[in-house]
Amino acid sequence: MHVEKDVVAYLSGELAPAEQARVTAHLEGCEACRRAVAESRAVLVALAPGRPAPPPVDWARYQAELRAKVARRPRGWWRRPWPALAAAAVATIVLVLTLQTPDRRLTDLTALDETVLGAQLPMLQQYRMVERLDMLEDLDVIGQLDRIGSR
Amino acid sequence: MLCRRVAERDEAAFDLLVARYQGRAYRLAWSMVRDAEDARDLSQEAFLRVYRTAGSFRGDARFSTWFYRVLVNLCLDHRRRGWWQRLVVRDAIGEDPERGVLERQAAPVVDPGDTLGREQLMTQLWGAVDRLSPQQRAALLLHVQEEQPTSEIAAVLQCSEATVRVHLHRAVSALRKTMGQG
Repeated sequence: MHVEKDVVAYLSGELAPAEQARVTAHLEGCEACRRAVAESRAVLVALAPGRPAPPPVDWARYQAELRAKVARRPRGWWRRPWPALAAAAVATIVLVLTLQTPDRRLTDLTALDETVLGAQLPMLQQYRMVERLDMLEDLDVIGQLDRIGSR
Repeated sequence: MLCRRVAERDEAAFDLLVARYQGRAYRLAWSMVRDAEDARDLSQEAFLRVYRTAGSFRGDARFSTWFYRVLVNLCLDHRRRGWWQRLVVRDAIGEDPERGVLERQAAPVVDPGDTLGREQLMTQLWGAVDRLSPQQRAALLLHVQEEQPTSEIAAVLQCSEATVRVHLHRAVSALRKTMGQG
């Protein structure tokens, strides 16, 4: 089995001793891999001293720009103009829809009160004095009257 | 530890850290994106992220590994956004050959008798580096330029050492062909 994939690590001396020995042994008998090692070495040697020099930088300016960026606090999404406008628009739409829609929750609660009173109706009919009570005044009073009556 | 002081918003420590890493950060970013302005912005962004997230650095890896990871990821993201691809294609088709040659000038060569041939070869070689896949290119630059061992490159690229070896093998194989043609 050829050792081409290990060539760079072999040339860098990064292989474990056993692997290094295995590659060395293979190279003794494999001309293709020896050529691969020689050509790879040539590439790495050529790249090492021939690093392209990047365009020069004014490091004082670089550091000043960086300090300015550090000083600038990161803005949360809610503080940026477009998301803030979009959030305001959505809130307005929700508010308008809420105001225009009948309060179903209130209606449902009223219906629930009527159901409770309806269930108590046979009991209420037994007490003439209840007629003088406001129907919604106090069901506890009625409950007490019921308990007194049942004794 | 410098990074801990940066996490505590020690401005002097941050300045020291920037001074220590700015050269190689800019050079690595430039080697990856091939544009000086973008390289400056990306390396500054890497420092900015270090400043803001220094508290999350656990210290179980070397700071340089963490920093390279932040920087290389920024460069790879930058490339994914399309800017790098445009630059590479522009260089490859020779839209601005003057710029490409000037920016890829090699360091003084050993053999003065073959300067021109050597420079041409280096231009071709670095042109081939530019055409490598982003991962292969990052692995190769970290290896030959930053002299990082395979284990550190694996930590930077967040992959296995075996994967790094494959990246390096493919990169060097492609460059061998270029040298063979040169």
